[in-house]
Amino acid sequence: MNRAGRLRDESPRDPARPGLWLGLMMGCIGIVAGLRFSGAVGAPVGFILLALSFTLLIPATRAMNRSRNCTTSTAGRRYNTGIMVASLAYVAGLGIAVRIHDQMTLSPSVMFFVALLPTIPTLAVIYVMGRYVVEEQDEYLRHRAIQASLIGLGAVLAVGSFWGFLETFELVPHVPGWWTVPVYAMGMGLAQCWMSLRNRADGES
Amino acid sequence: MKNRLKVLRAERDWSQQDLADRLEVSRQSVNAIEKGRYDPSLPLAFRIADLFAMRIEEIFLREAD
Repeated sequence: MNRAGRLRDESPRDPARPGLWLGLMMGCIGIVAGLRFSGAVGAPVGFILLALSFTLLIPATRAMNRSRNCTTSTAGRRYNTGIMVASLAYVAGLGIAVRIHDQMTLSPSVMFFVALLPTIPTLAVIYVMGRYVVEEQDEYLRHRAIQASLIGLGAVLAVGSFWGFLETFELVPHVPGWWTVPVYAMGMGLAQCWMSLRNRADGES
Repeated sequence: MKNRLKVLRAERDWSQQDLADRLEVSRQSVNAIEKGRYDPSLPLAFRIADLFAMRIEEIFLREAD
């Protein structure tokens, strides 16, 4: 290959295609949300469909771990796998805890432990993220992870504050505090996507 | 900060991945440094300078230069 070719072709098409799996998962979640909000499916069926949608995280994580564009370090692969396991545990814990709360009348002490079902995976996510920042040897990837994390935190603070004021003024309904984790994850995920796309665009220029 | 990384790489006919492998960093790191989107730490700047057998200031330039 000539020099011009080598310099131009810095970001070849990714055969692992993790974006396809992540897009498929987000599409499924969107469809389930649509079915649930339209009343086409009830809460139990909706949760089962949502949980099934999240299982697409497994092939998505495998694809990310194979992809040279997504993951280039051992720490990155451990991070992807850890986040996948913790996310699946979070979805399962959240669904079970909400169902138990809706279906059963239990003592406050028992409900305290039920509340730990989705909380423990949340702590696991925080641990996996912290471990990644410590273990990642590549300073730029570490810098990107911290940037994405700060953008996720900014999303939580901005959305939470704005929603809180709207709620105080009785313009919107109450939203449970556990929504902070999904909002944080969405903010962080969007930031990572944006940075990856920017890198790819730069690499191909 | 501006730098001459892309030119130096082209002179040696190295891809970004080749340079990344030699520096033991990710290809994304090389890309970000080349584009001036990320300024490397001093230890990494020294590694880059050592690899090209040049001084840091011959590779990384002040904006005013």
